[in-house]
Amino acid sequence: MSLPLLQPSTATSFPTSIALTAQAPSFLKSQSTWFAALPYPLSLLTNTESQEKWQIYENLFLASLRTGADATAWQCLEALVARFGKTNDRVIALHGLYLEATAKDEHGLAAAMRLYEEVLIEDPTKFSIRKRRAALLRSAGKTAEAAQALVNILDASPTDAEAWAELADLYLSQGAFDQAVFSLEEVLLVMPNAWNMHAKLGEVLYLQASRTESVGEKARLLAESFRRFCRSVELCDDYLRGYYGLKLTSTRLLELRSTSQKQQQNTSDPSTGDLAPPSTETVKKLNAIATAKLGEIVRRASSGEKGWDGFSKAELSAARDLLDKSTLKIER
Amino acid sequence: MAILASALNIVGLLFLSHAVYSAYEHSLLPTTALIPPTPSRTLIPAFLNPKIDLPLDITLETLFSVVLLCIGVVISSPALMPIQWNVWAGRMERSKEARLVTEVGVGGGNPYAVLEERPGFVDIRRQRREFAEWKGGKGVGL
Repeated sequence: MSLPLLQPSTATSFPTSIALTAQAPSFLKSQSTWFAALPYPLSLLTNTESQEKWQIYENLFLASLRTGADATAWQCLEALVARFGKTNDRVIALHGLYLEATAKDEHGLAAAMRLYEEVLIEDPTKFSIRKRRAALLRSAGKTAEAAQALVNILDASPTDAEAWAELADLYLSQGAFDQAVFSLEEVLLVMPNAWNMHAKLGEVLYLQASRTESVGEKARLLAESFRRFCRSVELCDDYLRGYYGLKLTSTRLLELRSTSQKQQQNTSDPSTGDLAPPSTETVKKLNAIATAKLGEIVRRASSGEKGWDGFSKAELSAARDLLDKSTLKIER
Repeated sequence: MAILASALNIVGLLFLSHAVYSAYEHSLLPTTALIPPTPSRTLIPAFLNPKIDLPLDITLETLFSVVLLCIGVVISSPALMPIQWNVWAGRMERSKEARLVTEVGVGGGNPYAVLEERPGFVDIRRQRREFAEWKGGKGVGL
Protein backbone atom coordinates (compact mmCIF):
# COMPACT_ATOMS: atom_id res chain seq x y z
CA MET A 1 0.00 0.00 0.00
CA SER A 2 1.25 3.44 -0.80
CA LEU A 3 3.21 5.04 2.02
CA PRO A 4 2.46 8.75 1.43
CA LEU A 5 -1.21 8.08 2.09
CA LEU A 6 -0.34 6.65 5.48
CA GLN A 7 1.32 9.84 6.73
CA PRO A 8 -1.18 11.51 9.02
CA SER A 9 -2.07 15.05 8.07
CA THR A 10 -1.35 16.89 11.25
CA ALA A 11 -3.36 19.92 12.19
CA THR A 12 -0.54 22.31 11.46
CA SER A 13 0.34 21.44 7.90
CA PHE A 14 -2.08 22.54 5.23
CA PRO A 15 0.07 21.49 2.24
CA THR A 16 0.02 17.87 3.51
CA SER A 17 -3.74 18.00 3.74
CA ILE A 18 -3.99 19.33 0.20
CA ALA A 19 -1.66 16.63 -1.09
CA LEU A 20 -3.68 13.91 0.65
CA THR A 21 -6.96 15.26 -0.67
CA ALA A 22 -5.53 15.35 -4.17
CA GLN A 23 -4.68 11.65 -3.94
CA ALA A 24 -8.10 10.69 -2.65
CA PRO A 25 -9.99 10.15 -5.94
CA SER A 26 -7.40 7.79 -7.42
CA PHE A 27 -7.20 5.84 -4.16
CA LEU A 28 -10.96 5.50 -3.87
CA LYS A 29 -11.15 4.41 -7.50
CA SER A 30 -8.49 1.76 -6.92
CA GLN A 31 -10.57 0.37 -4.05
CA SER A 32 -13.83 -0.01 -5.97
CA THR A 33 -13.12 -2.68 -8.57
CA TRP A 34 -15.68 -5.05 -10.05
CA PHE A 35 -14.29 -8.15 -8.33
CA ALA A 36 -14.60 -6.60 -4.88
CA ALA A 37 -18.39 -6.82 -5.23
CA LEU A 38 -18.52 -10.59 -5.86
CA PRO A 39 -20.90 -12.71 -3.72
CA TYR A 40 -19.73 -14.27 -0.46
CA PRO A 41 -17.54 -17.32 -1.12
CA LEU A 42 -15.82 -15.69 -4.07
CA SER A 43 -15.25 -12.42 -2.22
CA LEU A 44 -12.94 -14.27 0.16
CA LEU A 45 -10.51 -14.78 -2.71
CA THR A 46 -10.42 -11.10 -3.64
CA ASN A 47 -10.10 -9.73 -0.13
CA THR A 48 -8.16 -6.47 0.13
CA GLU A 49 -8.57 -6.16 3.87
CA SER A 50 -5.61 -4.61 5.69
CA GLN A 51 -4.87 -2.25 8.51
CA GLU A 52 -3.31 0.19 6.07
CA LYS A 53 -6.45 0.39 4.00
CA TRP A 54 -8.64 1.62 6.85
CA GLN A 55 -5.98 3.89 8.23
CA ILE A 56 -5.78 5.49 4.80
CA TYR A 57 -9.54 5.85 4.67
CA GLU A 58 -9.50 7.68 7.98
CA ASN A 59 -6.57 9.90 6.97
CA LEU A 60 -8.30 10.79 3.72
CA PHE A 61 -11.53 11.50 5.52
CA LEU A 62 -9.88 13.93 7.94
CA ALA A 63 -7.77 15.62 5.29
CA SER A 64 -10.65 16.14 2.90
CA LEU A 65 -12.88 17.48 5.66
CA ARG A 66 -10.15 19.93 6.56
CA THR A 67 -9.74 21.11 3.00
CA GLY A 68 -13.50 21.33 2.44
CA ALA A 69 -13.83 18.42 0.00
CA ASP A 70 -17.02 17.20 1.63
CA ALA A 71 -18.05 14.79 -1.12
CA THR A 72 -14.80 12.83 -0.83
CA ALA A 73 -15.12 12.82 2.93
CA TRP A 74 -18.63 11.42 2.66
CA GLN A 75 -17.41 8.64 0.36
CA CYS A 76 -14.71 7.65 2.86
CA LEU A 77 -17.20 7.78 5.72
CA GLU A 78 -19.64 5.56 3.83
CA ALA A 79 -16.92 2.98 3.27
CA LEU A 80 -15.98 3.08 6.96
CA VAL A 81 -19.62 2.69 8.02
CA ALA A 82 -20.06 -0.21 5.60
CA ARG A 83 -17.02 -1.95 7.05
CA PHE A 84 -17.28 -1.26 10.79
CA GLY A 85 -21.00 -0.68 11.29
CA LYS A 86 -22.94 2.30 12.51
CA THR A 87 -22.45 1.57 16.20
CA ASN A 88 -18.67 1.57 16.27
CA ASP A 89 -17.33 4.31 18.61
CA ARG A 90 -14.79 5.56 16.19
CA VAL A 91 -17.17 5.62 13.25
CA ILE A 92 -19.77 7.51 15.29
CA ALA A 93 -17.13 10.06 16.23
CA LEU A 94 -16.13 10.45 12.58
CA HIS A 95 -19.76 10.79 11.58
CA GLY A 96 -20.21 13.50 14.19
CA LEU A 97 -17.11 15.20 12.90
CA TYR A 98 -18.64 15.22 9.42
CA LEU A 99 -21.88 16.71 10.75
CA GLU A 100 -19.94 19.39 12.64
CA ALA A 101 -17.81 20.28 9.66
CA THR A 102 -20.68 20.56 7.21
CA ALA A 103 -23.02 22.38 9.61
CA LYS A 104 -24.20 25.62 8.05
CA ASP A 105 -25.77 27.12 11.17
CA GLU A 106 -26.77 26.45 14.75
CA HIS A 107 -29.24 23.76 13.65
CA GLY A 108 -26.50 21.73 12.03
CA LEU A 109 -24.42 21.87 15.19
CA ALA A 110 -27.45 20.95 17.24
CA ALA A 111 -27.89 17.86 15.05
CA ALA A 112 -24.32 16.77 15.82
CA MET A 113 -24.88 17.44 19.50
CA ARG A 114 -28.10 15.41 19.41
CA LEU A 115 -26.21 12.49 17.87
CA TYR A 116 -23.65 12.56 20.68
CA GLU A 117 -26.23 12.87 23.44
CA GLU A 118 -28.32 10.02 22.07
CA VAL A 119 -25.31 7.74 21.94
CA LEU A 120 -24.24 8.76 25.42
CA ILE A 121 -27.68 8.12 26.92
CA GLU A 122 -27.45 4.60 25.58
CA ASP A 123 -23.84 3.98 26.60
CA PRO A 124 -22.10 6.67 28.66
CA THR A 125 -18.76 4.80 28.55
CA LYS A 126 -17.99 5.72 24.94
CA PHE A 127 -15.11 8.04 25.58
CA SER A 128 -14.51 9.05 21.98
CA ILE A 129 -18.06 10.44 21.91
CA ARG A 130 -17.70 12.17 25.26
CA LYS A 131 -14.52 13.78 23.96
CA ARG A 132 -16.26 14.91 20.79
CA ARG A 133 -19.06 16.40 22.85
CA ALA A 134 -16.59 18.39 24.94
CA ALA A 135 -14.80 19.52 21.79
CA LEU A 136 -18.06 20.64 20.19
CA LEU A 137 -19.02 22.61 23.30
CA ARG A 138 -15.66 24.33 23.24
CA SER A 139 -15.90 25.00 19.53
CA ALA A 140 -19.32 26.56 20.04
CA GLY A 141 -17.85 28.95 22.59
CA LYS A 142 -19.47 27.36 25.66
CA THR A 143 -16.22 27.29 27.60
CA ALA A 144 -17.64 26.67 31.05
CA GLU A 145 -19.73 23.74 29.86
CA ALA A 146 -16.76 22.32 27.95
CA ALA A 147 -14.61 22.52 31.08
CA GLN A 148 -17.35 20.79 33.06
CA ALA A 149 -17.63 18.04 30.44
CA LEU A 150 -13.85 17.53 30.53
CA VAL A 151 -13.84 17.39 34.32
CA ASN A 152 -16.56 14.74 34.13
CA ILE A 153 -14.49 12.72 31.67
CA LEU A 154 -11.49 12.97 33.96
CA ASP A 155 -13.52 11.99 37.01
CA ALA A 156 -14.40 8.78 35.25
CA SER A 157 -10.96 8.21 33.73
CA PRO A 158 -8.22 10.13 35.56
CA THR A 159 -5.38 8.57 33.56
CA ASP A 160 -6.53 9.98 30.22
CA ALA A 161 -3.55 12.16 29.33
CA GLU A 162 -5.19 13.54 26.20
CA ALA A 163 -8.15 14.87 28.19
CA TRP A 164 -5.83 16.41 30.78
CA ALA A 165 -3.89 18.11 28.00
CA GLU A 166 -7.10 19.43 26.46
CA LEU A 167 -8.23 20.74 29.84
CA ALA A 168 -4.87 22.46 30.28
CA ASP A 169 -5.23 24.09 26.88
CA LEU A 170 -8.77 25.21 27.71
CA TYR A 171 -7.66 26.76 31.01
CA LEU A 172 -4.69 28.40 29.34
CA SER A 173 -6.95 29.97 26.71
CA GLN A 174 -8.94 31.45 29.61
CA GLY A 175 -5.81 32.74 31.33
CA ALA A 176 -6.22 30.40 34.32
CA PHE A 177 -2.53 29.64 34.71
CA ASP A 178 -2.65 27.78 38.00
CA GLN A 179 -5.26 25.34 36.73
CA ALA A 180 -3.41 24.89 33.44
CA VAL A 181 -0.18 24.11 35.30
CA PHE A 182 -2.01 21.63 37.51
CA SER A 183 -3.50 19.85 34.48
CA LEU A 184 -0.15 19.70 32.71
CA GLU A 185 1.43 18.24 35.83
CA GLU A 186 -1.26 15.56 35.73
CA VAL A 187 -0.32 14.83 32.12
CA LEU A 188 3.27 14.40 33.21
CA LEU A 189 2.23 12.06 36.01
CA VAL A 190 0.63 9.79 33.42
CA MET A 191 3.37 10.20 30.80
CA PRO A 192 6.54 11.28 32.58
CA ASN A 193 8.73 10.91 29.47
CA ALA A 194 6.78 13.27 27.23
CA TRP A 195 9.50 15.78 26.45
CA ASN A 196 7.20 18.11 24.54
CA MET A 197 4.85 18.33 27.52
CA HIS A 198 7.76 19.24 29.78
CA ALA A 199 8.56 22.06 27.37
CA LYS A 200 4.89 23.04 27.22
CA LEU A 201 4.70 23.23 31.01
CA GLY A 202 7.87 25.33 30.97
CA GLU A 203 6.24 27.69 28.49
CA VAL A 204 3.10 28.06 30.57
CA LEU A 205 5.14 28.77 33.69
CA TYR A 206 7.22 31.30 31.77
CA LEU A 207 4.05 33.04 30.59
CA GLN A 208 2.75 33.07 34.13
CA ALA A 209 6.04 34.49 35.38
CA SER A 210 5.97 37.29 32.83
CA ARG A 211 2.46 38.25 34.02
CA THR A 212 3.42 38.31 37.70
CA GLU A 213 4.36 41.53 39.46
CA SER A 214 5.93 40.29 42.68
CA VAL A 215 9.68 39.69 42.32
CA GLY A 216 9.83 36.70 44.64
CA GLU A 217 6.96 34.90 42.91
CA LYS A 218 8.45 35.73 39.53
CA ALA A 219 11.80 34.24 40.50
CA ARG A 220 10.13 31.10 41.79
CA LEU A 221 8.10 30.61 38.60
CA LEU A 222 11.07 31.30 36.37
CA ALA A 223 13.19 28.79 38.28
CA GLU A 224 10.41 26.22 37.96
CA SER A 225 10.07 26.88 34.24
CA PHE A 226 13.86 26.69 33.89
CA ARG A 227 13.81 23.25 35.52
CA ARG A 228 11.08 22.01 33.19
CA PHE A 229 13.07 23.03 30.13
CA CYS A 230 16.14 21.33 31.60
CA ARG A 231 14.15 18.11 31.91
CA SER A 232 12.88 18.37 28.34
CA VAL A 233 16.38 18.67 26.89
CA GLU A 234 17.52 15.87 29.15
CA LEU A 235 14.87 13.62 27.62
CA CYS A 236 15.58 14.66 24.04
CA ASP A 237 18.91 15.54 22.46
CA ASP A 238 18.94 18.59 20.17
CA TYR A 239 15.43 19.61 21.20
CA LEU A 240 15.15 23.07 19.64
CA ARG A 241 12.08 24.10 21.62
CA GLY A 242 13.63 22.97 24.91
CA TYR A 243 16.92 24.78 24.32
CA TYR A 244 15.08 27.90 23.22
CA GLY A 245 13.14 27.92 26.46
CA LEU A 246 16.24 27.13 28.47
CA LYS A 247 18.07 30.09 26.97
CA LEU A 248 15.11 32.42 27.45
CA THR A 249 14.43 31.47 31.06
CA SER A 250 18.08 31.44 32.10
CA THR A 251 18.61 34.90 30.57
CA ARG A 252 15.57 36.23 32.40
CA LEU A 253 16.66 34.61 35.65
CA LEU A 254 20.11 36.19 35.38
CA GLU A 255 18.57 39.61 34.61
CA LEU A 256 16.23 39.26 37.56
CA ARG A 257 19.05 38.32 39.92
CA SER A 258 21.26 41.20 38.82
CA THR A 259 18.48 43.78 39.31
CA SER A 260 17.11 42.56 42.64
CA GLN A 261 20.37 42.26 44.54
CA LYS A 262 20.18 39.41 47.03
CA GLN A 263 17.01 40.72 48.63
CA GLN A 264 14.87 37.85 47.44
CA GLN A 265 17.25 34.95 47.58
CA ASN A 266 15.14 32.79 49.85
CA THR A 267 11.87 32.56 47.98
CA SER A 268 11.44 28.82 48.26
CA ASP A 269 10.08 27.17 51.34
CA PRO A 270 11.68 23.76 51.93
CA SER A 271 8.96 22.77 54.38
CA THR A 272 6.39 22.66 51.56
CA GLY A 273 8.65 20.59 49.32
CA ASP A 274 9.93 23.43 47.16
CA LEU A 275 13.39 22.97 45.77
CA ALA A 276 16.03 25.59 46.43
CA PRO A 277 16.49 27.99 43.50
CA PRO A 278 19.35 27.05 41.17
CA SER A 279 22.64 28.79 41.93
CA THR A 280 23.68 31.65 39.68
CA GLU A 281 26.73 29.75 38.40
CA THR A 282 24.54 26.83 37.34
CA VAL A 283 22.18 29.14 35.51
CA LYS A 284 25.12 30.85 33.78
CA LYS A 285 26.62 27.54 32.71
CA LEU A 286 23.33 26.22 31.38
CA ASN A 287 22.74 29.49 29.56
CA ALA A 288 26.10 29.05 27.84
CA ILE A 289 25.26 25.44 26.95
CA ALA A 290 21.87 26.46 25.54
CA THR A 291 23.48 29.21 23.45
CA ALA A 292 26.07 26.82 22.06
CA LYS A 293 23.47 24.14 21.32
CA LEU A 294 21.07 26.58 19.64
CA GLY A 295 23.92 27.89 17.52
CA GLU A 296 24.87 24.39 16.49
CA ILE A 297 21.31 23.41 15.62
CA VAL A 298 20.70 26.57 13.58
CA ARG A 299 24.02 26.18 11.77
CA ARG A 300 23.63 22.51 10.92
CA ALA A 301 19.94 22.74 10.00
CA SER A 302 20.33 25.78 7.77
CA SER A 303 23.36 24.32 5.99
CA GLY A 304 21.12 21.40 5.06
CA GLU A 305 23.26 18.73 6.68
CA LYS A 306 22.07 15.17 6.20
CA GLY A 307 19.66 14.06 8.92
CA TRP A 308 19.08 17.62 10.18
CA ASP A 309 16.08 18.52 8.02
CA GLY A 310 13.35 17.87 10.56
CA PHE A 311 13.16 21.25 12.29
CA SER A 312 10.33 23.60 11.44
CA LYS A 313 11.35 26.75 9.59
CA ALA A 314 9.47 29.05 11.96
CA GLU A 315 11.21 27.56 15.00
CA LEU A 316 14.61 27.88 13.35
CA SER A 317 14.14 31.53 12.47
CA ALA A 318 12.87 32.25 15.99
CA ALA A 319 15.99 30.64 17.42
CA ARG A 320 18.16 32.69 15.06
CA ASP A 321 16.43 35.89 16.21
CA LEU A 322 16.96 34.97 19.84
CA LEU A 323 20.67 34.34 19.24
CA ASP A 324 21.06 37.61 17.32
CA LYS A 325 19.36 39.53 20.10
CA SER A 326 21.64 38.09 22.77
CA THR A 327 24.81 38.86 20.79
CA LEU A 328 23.60 42.43 20.25
CA LYS A 329 23.21 42.83 23.98
CA ILE A 330 26.75 41.62 24.61
CA GLU A 331 28.19 44.01 22.03
CA ARG A 332 26.43 46.92 23.70
CA MET B 1 33.25 0.05 4.24
CA ALA B 2 30.75 -2.19 2.48
CA ILE B 3 33.39 -3.23 -0.06
CA LEU B 4 35.91 -4.01 2.68
CA ALA B 5 33.33 -6.08 4.55
CA SER B 6 32.31 -8.15 1.55
CA ALA B 7 35.98 -8.65 0.57
CA LEU B 8 36.73 -9.92 4.07
CA ASN B 9 33.70 -12.21 3.97
CA ILE B 10 34.61 -13.65 0.57
CA VAL B 11 38.26 -14.21 1.45
CA GLY B 12 37.26 -15.74 4.77
CA LEU B 13 34.81 -18.10 3.11
CA LEU B 14 37.43 -19.15 0.52
CA PHE B 15 40.00 -19.88 3.20
CA LEU B 16 37.47 -21.73 5.33
CA SER B 17 36.31 -23.99 2.51
CA HIS B 18 39.93 -24.59 1.51
CA ALA B 19 40.82 -25.56 5.07
CA VAL B 20 37.82 -27.85 5.42
CA TYR B 21 38.53 -29.54 2.10
CA SER B 22 42.22 -29.95 3.00
CA ALA B 23 41.29 -31.53 6.31
CA TYR B 24 38.97 -33.93 4.52
CA GLU B 25 41.60 -34.89 1.94
CA HIS B 26 44.17 -35.29 4.67
CA SER B 27 41.93 -37.66 6.59
CA LEU B 28 41.75 -39.91 3.51
CA LEU B 29 45.51 -40.47 3.42
CA PRO B 30 46.07 -43.90 5.03
CA THR B 31 49.70 -43.49 6.02
CA THR B 32 49.95 -39.99 7.39
CA ALA B 33 46.58 -39.71 9.03
CA LEU B 34 46.62 -42.53 11.50
CA ILE B 35 48.16 -41.85 14.83
CA PRO B 36 48.89 -44.44 17.45
CA PRO B 37 46.84 -44.09 20.65
CA THR B 38 49.01 -42.25 23.14
CA PRO B 39 48.60 -42.54 26.90
CA SER B 40 48.92 -38.75 27.26
CA ARG B 41 45.34 -38.30 25.92
CA THR B 42 43.65 -40.35 28.56
CA LEU B 43 42.10 -37.24 30.08
CA ILE B 44 39.80 -36.93 27.06
CA PRO B 45 36.93 -39.44 26.79
CA ALA B 46 37.48 -42.04 24.14
CA PHE B 47 34.71 -40.86 21.82
CA LEU B 48 36.14 -37.33 21.74
CA ASN B 49 39.69 -38.48 21.03
CA PRO B 50 40.54 -37.53 17.45
CA LYS B 51 41.69 -40.39 15.28
CA ILE B 52 43.39 -38.01 12.90
CA ASP B 53 46.30 -35.73 13.55
CA LEU B 54 45.88 -32.60 11.43
CA PRO B 55 48.96 -30.69 10.35
CA LEU B 56 49.46 -27.28 11.95
CA ASP B 57 48.97 -25.25 8.73
CA ILE B 58 45.40 -26.52 8.26
CA THR B 59 44.53 -25.63 11.86
CA LEU B 60 46.04 -22.17 11.46
CA GLU B 61 44.20 -21.64 8.18
CA THR B 62 40.89 -22.57 9.79
CA LEU B 63 41.40 -20.20 12.70
CA PHE B 64 42.54 -17.40 10.38
CA SER B 65 39.52 -17.78 8.10
CA VAL B 66 37.11 -17.76 11.03
CA VAL B 67 38.69 -14.57 12.39
CA LEU B 68 38.36 -12.95 8.96
CA LEU B 69 34.71 -14.00 8.74
CA CYS B 70 33.94 -12.68 12.23
CA ILE B 71 35.42 -9.29 11.41
CA GLY B 72 33.62 -9.20 8.06
CA VAL B 73 30.22 -10.04 9.55
CA VAL B 74 30.57 -7.45 12.30
CA ILE B 75 31.64 -4.73 9.87
CA SER B 76 28.88 -5.51 7.39
CA SER B 77 26.10 -5.41 10.03
CA PRO B 78 23.76 -2.39 9.84
CA ALA B 79 24.11 0.54 12.23
CA LEU B 80 22.70 -0.10 15.67
CA MET B 81 19.33 1.35 16.61
CA PRO B 82 19.44 3.87 19.46
CA ILE B 83 18.47 2.34 22.79
CA GLN B 84 18.91 5.46 24.88
CA TRP B 85 15.77 7.48 25.24
CA ASN B 86 17.31 10.89 24.60
CA VAL B 87 19.25 9.74 21.53
CA TRP B 88 16.16 8.12 20.04
CA ALA B 89 14.03 11.18 20.78
CA GLY B 90 16.67 13.56 19.44
CA ARG B 91 16.89 11.67 16.18
CA MET B 92 13.16 12.04 15.66
CA GLU B 93 13.25 15.76 16.36
CA ARG B 94 16.16 16.24 14.02
CA SER B 95 15.42 14.31 10.88
CA LYS B 96 12.32 14.00 8.75
CA GLU B 97 13.31 10.53 7.68
CA ALA B 98 13.11 9.18 11.23
CA ARG B 99 9.55 10.48 11.51
CA LEU B 100 8.17 8.68 8.46
CA VAL B 101 5.36 6.22 9.02
CA THR B 102 6.58 2.95 7.53
CA GLU B 103 3.50 0.89 8.37
CA VAL B 104 0.49 1.17 10.62
CA GLY B 105 1.72 1.75 14.16
CA VAL B 106 5.41 1.96 13.17
CA GLY B 107 7.26 5.26 12.95
CA GLY B 108 5.45 8.55 12.99
CA GLY B 109 7.78 10.68 15.08
CA ASN B 110 7.22 11.89 18.59
CA PRO B 111 4.58 9.60 20.13
CA TYR B 112 3.69 12.33 22.60
CA ALA B 113 2.83 14.86 19.89
CA VAL B 114 -0.77 13.61 20.16
CA LEU B 115 -0.92 15.37 23.52
CA GLU B 116 -0.60 18.68 21.70
CA GLU B 117 -2.58 17.81 18.58
CA ARG B 118 -5.26 15.89 20.49
CA PRO B 119 -7.01 14.12 17.60
CA GLY B 120 -9.87 13.10 19.91
CA PHE B 121 -10.74 16.74 20.52
CA VAL B 122 -10.11 18.11 17.07
CA ASP B 123 -11.98 21.36 16.38
CA ILE B 124 -12.78 20.74 12.73
CA ARG B 125 -14.71 23.97 12.22
CA ARG B 126 -11.79 26.12 13.30
CA GLN B 127 -9.45 24.07 11.11
CA ARG B 128 -11.69 24.57 8.12
CA ARG B 129 -11.86 28.29 8.79
CA GLU B 130 -8.09 28.53 9.12
CA PHE B 131 -7.62 26.51 5.97
CA ALA B 132 -9.98 28.77 4.02
CA GLU B 133 -8.10 31.84 5.29
CA TRP B 134 -4.75 30.31 4.43
CA LYS B 135 -5.95 29.43 0.96
CA GLY B 136 -7.46 32.90 0.50
CA GLY B 137 -4.14 34.46 1.50
CA LYS B 138 -2.38 32.05 -0.90
CA GLY B 139 -0.19 30.26 1.57
CA VAL B 140 1.04 33.03 3.82
CA GLY B 141 3.05 31.44 6.61
CA LEU B 142 3.49 27.69 6.94
